[in-house]
Formats: sequence, structure tokens, C-alpha cells
Amino acid sequence: MSVQFHSDKPEIADATWRELFLWLFRRRHRFRVAGNSMAPLLQPGDLVLVNRAAYRRAAPQPGDIVVARDPRQPDRMLIKRVDAIMQDGRCFLLSVNPTQGTDSRTFGAVPVDHVLGKATCRIHST
Amino acid sequence: MFKNAIAKFAASLPAPEVSAHCDGPCGVYDPASARIAAEAALSMTKKLLDLGDPSDLATLNTQARYIAIKEEQAHIAKTELLVLWTDYFKPPHLEKYPDLHDKFWKAAKLCSEVKVHVSLEQAQALMAAIEDIHNIFWATKGRDVKYYTAS
Repeated sequence: MSVQFHSDKPEIADATWRELFLWLFRRRHRFRVAGNSMAPLLQPGDLVLVNRAAYRRAAPQPGDIVVARDPRQPDRMLIKRVDAIMQDGRCFLLSVNPTQGTDSRTFGAVPVDHVLGKATCRIHST
Repeated sequence: MFKNAIAKFAASLPAPEVSAHCDGPCGVYDPASARIAAEAALSMTKKLLDLGDPSDLATLNTQARYIAIKEEQAHIAKTELLVLWTDYFKPPHLEKYPDLHDKFWKAAKLCSEVKVHVSLEQAQALMAAIEDIHNIFWATKGRDVKYYTAS
């Protein structure tokens, strides 16, 4: 059994020129964070830029901040951190703030086609 | 500077939401689930007191079962209360009910007391605390839901 884990401190970069240009050229999509489960990394109201093409060729990696469909309610989108990649390729997603989140601890590992993209940077709401 | 302006512009436009919420999406809360568990713990407390000193294996077995159920149900009551407290109640509710934290804290403590001891007084105090929470809960929803017990 080989499962890759990620135990480092969660990180996401602040927006760079490059990311903002990529957004202007429609290579990044904006999403707004609602709720506290990713605090203190992402606060409610923060914006993230998401690369929807990130996982077309490469697989998600532990530590990536991703936007994924809620397996219980497919029209709902979640933002979580990839904690581990299971042997069958599914992603185990966790909240940064484990006391305030519903994640793979509740709904299990998520198939990779539910992972819509990688959050590449954040833009603070204030 | 210019980068900040673009970032501000990007942040000012409406964007689809990604959820980092702290609870499941169903939004169904009801203090009844805590009340049912607390009521079961109260019932087990009464039965334990009535059972008296077990002198044979069958009675000892019954006593052990009552204890196991009492502890389990008291713990469920605590979990249900904590979910209500941390997931349903929001800061505006606290403004209206400034002693809300105190009420939940004491109710949760009572659950532990009911779990650990065989105390009719504390089991009844827990029921009273849950009735109080029931009244606050339904008041925050603007609904008049009468408190009742199953037994």
C-alpha cells in the first residue's frame, strides 16, 4: 500500500503579476471562499484564482489547495486541501481547520474527476 | 500599486462561491435529538435507582445494560448539544441571548455528570437545560414550537 501524505504547513501564494495576467487572459477562474473551514489560510470572503486545466495532464498532489464537487451534493463546490492520494487515485481532502469542516473524514476520498481545479493563489478580501 | 489595483478589481467582481463551511449542507437542526437522548439517560437513571442492589447474575446483567445505555445516551446528548451550539448558533444569536455560551457549557457539563453518576437530580437538571435551549432555539427561528417529552 503506498499512500502519499502531506503534513506540512498549509500554504497558498498571494496573487502575483503572472497569476493576474493569467486571469485577465482567462486562464484562471475566480472563486469566493465562504465559511471558516480553511481558516487561517483562507478567510471567508477571500478570493482564490483557480487553474481548471491543472489536472488535465498531471494528478493532484498532496498539499494542493483544490476546488472539488461535494460528492454528496454535486452542485456544491468545496475548497479543501489534498491530504493524501489514495492508491486508486482518489483524493483524500481535508479542511485546514479540522474542527470546522466537513471533508473526506465525513464523505470519504473524492474521485479525481470531482476535482475541478487547483487554487493557485489568493486575493484577500480586505 | 498597479498589481494591487488589478487584485482589488478581481476581488470586487462577483465570483461563484466555493464552500469552506463548518457543517453539512442540510441545515437541519432540532434540539429534539438532544432531548430524546437526555430523556433516555434520565429513564436509565430512574431504572438504575429502582433496580437496587443486584444479587444475582441476571440483575447484574440488567444493571450493566442500564449503565451502558445511560452513558451512551448522555454522550449522544452532549454531542447533539455541541453541534447545535457550534454549528447552528451564530454571533447575532449571542447578542440577543448573552448567556447562550453559559447555558450550553452548563448543559454539556450536565451531560457528563449524568453519564458518570446515577443522579436523578442531575438528569432532571439536564432535561430542564435542554427545555431552555429548545425555547431559545425556536425563538431564533421565529417559531412557536411547544416543548414536549416522550415519556
